[in-house]
Amino acid sequence: MSALSWQAVVAGVGGQGVLFVSRALATALEPKVKGILISEVHGMAQRGGAVVSHLKAGAYSGPLVSPGSAEMVLALDPGEAVRNLSYLAAGGWLVVNAPDLGFLSAKGKKALASFGARAVTVPASELAREAGAAKGANVVLLGAAAAAGALPVDPAEVERAITQGQPEARARANRELLALGAGAAEEA
Amino acid sequence: MSAKARARKEILMGNQALGRGLVENGVAVMTAYPGTPSSEILPAVVQYGAELKSPPYVEWSVNEKVAMEVALAAAYTGRRSAVAMKMVGLNVALDPVMSAAYIGVIGGMIIVSADDPGPHSSQTEQDSRLLAHFAKLPVFDPDSPAAARDLVAPAYALSERHQIPVMIRPTLRVCHGRQNLNLKAPKELGREAVFTKDPFRWAAIPKMRLALHQALNAKLAKIQAEVSASKTLNTWHAPVRPRARLGILASGVAAALARDLLAELGLPVDQGRIPFLQTSVPYPLPLGPVNQLLDSCQRVLVLEETEPVLELLAPRRERLWGRGSGHVPSAGELTPEVLGGVLERALNEARLKAPRPKGKVLSVPDQPPMRRPNLCPGCSHRAVFFSLKKGLPGGVYPSDIGCYTLGLNQGAVDTCHDMGAAVTFAHALSRSLNEGEQATPVAATIGDSTFYHSGITGLVNAVYNGARFVLVILDNETTSMTGMQPTPENGLTADGHPGHAVELRKLVEGCGVRWIDELDPYDLGETQKTLKKAWRWTQKPEGGVAVIIARHACAAHRPAEAVPAPCRVEVRGAAAPVKTSFKPKLNPCADCGRCVAICPVGALRRTGKGRIKVDKAKCTGCRLCAQVCPTGTMVLEPAGACVACGLCSTWFACPALAADSEGYISIDRDWCVDCGLCAEVCAQGAIAPMEVLS
Repeated sequence: MSALSWQAVVAGVGGQGVLFVSRALATALEPKVKGILISEVHGMAQRGGAVVSHLKAGAYSGPLVSPGSAEMVLALDPGEAVRNLSYLAAGGWLVVNAPDLGFLSAKGKKALASFGARAVTVPASELAREAGAAKGANVVLLGAAAAAGALPVDPAEVERAITQGQPEARARANRELLALGAGAAEEA
Repeated sequence: MSAKARARKEILMGNQALGRGLVENGVAVMTAYPGTPSSEILPAVVQYGAELKSPPYVEWSVNEKVAMEVALAAAYTGRRSAVAMKMVGLNVALDPVMSAAYIGVIGGMIIVSADDPGPHSSQTEQDSRLLAHFAKLPVFDPDSPAAARDLVAPAYALSERHQIPVMIRPTLRVCHGRQNLNLKAPKELGREAVFTKDPFRWAAIPKMRLALHQALNAKLAKIQAEVSASKTLNTWHAPVRPRARLGILASGVAAALARDLLAELGLPVDQGRIPFLQTSVPYPLPLGPVNQLLDSCQRVLVLEETEPVLELLAPRRERLWGRGSGHVPSAGELTPEVLGGVLERALNEARLKAPRPKGKVLSVPDQPPMRRPNLCPGCSHRAVFFSLKKGLPGGVYPSDIGCYTLGLNQGAVDTCHDMGAAVTFAHALSRSLNEGEQATPVAATIGDSTFYHSGITGLVNAVYNGARFVLVILDNETTSMTGMQPTPENGLTADGHPGHAVELRKLVEGCGVRWIDELDPYDLGETQKTLKKAWRWTQKPEGGVAVIIARHACAAHRPAEAVPAPCRVEVRGAAAPVKTSFKPKLNPCADCGRCVAICPVGALRRTGKGRIKVDKAKCTGCRLCAQVCPTGTMVLEPAGACVACGLCSTWFACPALAADSEGYISIDRDWCVDCGLCAEVCAQGAIAPMEVLS
């Protein structure tokens, strides 16, 4: 067991599968770290409201990430990316379901660059819809994050985390969505 | 399978961890009423209990008072029981809770009351630990999912040793946190249920209650001594040292987060610079270790959620920094953002320097607007609220607790207070508003589960006292907001044990209601007609409370049934807005005032008998006035295209109806479920069903 510690914030809107992503990350990371803590949002917020999940992997005791401390902010919605940017650590990864950084003003883009943030933008919803899996944008974006090197685990471990214990058809569909995201991340 | 083989490591949600803890410690009877953030505890007991030869008895009770009493009397028989609820449910259960400490139990009993600092999904930020203190019940305060599981064993042990129920108070971050933990084997205690007659205890009269109260006080003193001496319930993250400028006393999630924040500031607790005592027992407060901390530190910062409990119970309050001194905010969750500020201020004032500067925080100017939660696309509640506004315009609409509170977005929810208040508020408001000539329609909405929970008594009261209003029971045969728990209506039980359905219509009849109609709210025209008919009946001499049961499957629970005739809608291209015109010369105005009452923007004004003035600057051209005008005096032809009137956005509020910057509507295919309801909402004929889908 290494002394790996890694914090991330996963954000989006109710119905986009935010919690699925943070749970998948937790499953992928669990064998490598001392402890896993996730914070989730349930209840009324899930009805189309903003959903955010904090993930802390390592020797932590509290379930919430402090501002300026997340190695990665992964957002299934550009607006929610902006809302949660304060959690990003200097030099951290911003992974967003968007064709480009057009959701930020020129001033916002400059602030992001001078913060040393590494941005990965992938039109995950569009790619998922084209693949006939409108609800699969979350897995596409996860594939992009893994391929871009935003995660402290190999893409293979992410694949294991989201396919284990699933029926073969579902596992295959998820593998395809991951590959779709990986391809888009490499192109970008 | 051996017990060892069943032990394994898993990432569990806090509520699952609590359920696991209960099953690992031999819970035999578990009751609950769902409520965020507590709803997943009982299903976890069902899930893990299935690993046992004879799984525990579990039930979704009709409300928290009932749940409390069922679990309490089960513990009278020597078996271990548990009850779970959210903290406002504890208010409902408070009556039996207050006596529970006096009379006590034989088998261990755990009351789980889940708090919601924030609040994220609740009416209040109340602190169950204060109610535990009020009721004289010991309370444990876990800081993580693992701690929640681990506290079940000592809670049962304490409960049985002193024959007193014990509360475990997790907060939302514990309940809906996830953590990896080692599972222990589920356990069956195999205790025979025995009820030993002891009327002086189980049916104590007031005179005996005094003796019981005295005995309870002695019990609590013993418990306090025990928890004071406990090494497992109190943790010194950093030991006391003489003349420390600052110490920390904390419990719950605030204690866990404070440890992380101190590490981020370069003051990790294991370096021991700031004495740090965490207790799992806010009440009775472990005075031994607390006094040790207070003896050695000049100041002690108290960190806890949501009310001051440690702070109020601790001696030498002049040394404490907390809510009383203004160091800790008195409302809201102690997030890292808030707690970070609290710690920095305390370190500064204690003249302690944080070795590590605070990390940089990125700020960008492009903050998005707050995102309001909304009813799901295809939800039949949306149809009810639309019909309510159209059928009974200008009415007052009390509502209740559940998904349908989101009818707020449609302007069709005027009050939301506590479970069941839709009925009692409608009673009070209709009586007050309609004492004279004025006849303001009052139509309340309440969900099926909420009606079974607390609506029945209010309805009996309203009927008995001659109230006149319309009550719409939104019946989707499930408890949607909290995760689709079954209701008494379908007779399904928490774990599938045999039960019996309690029919909603018969129940309403049994409450004395003489006017009942059942309908499918997807039929908007029929719903509006029925609402009008119901209101008219309430105002007749023989009238009273009219109940409409609006029955439709939940769009999240049974999506296929919720959209019975899927059709693809399109919005026809933009047309120039056309404004309403009032033409009294063509048709005589009936002076009924319907147009004025229904206008969503207040653009119409009555200027004299049979004369309506249209404020063209305000008029959006939505055509509602023309639709309700009985004489055809109010004239506005459908545009056959979107005129950006905004009616569908404000009165229907479906997330699939996206408005551009000028207000013209398009269908967001990511959200649309092809229910086709918006086509009927649009009075312009702009939103039109294009294609019937199979």
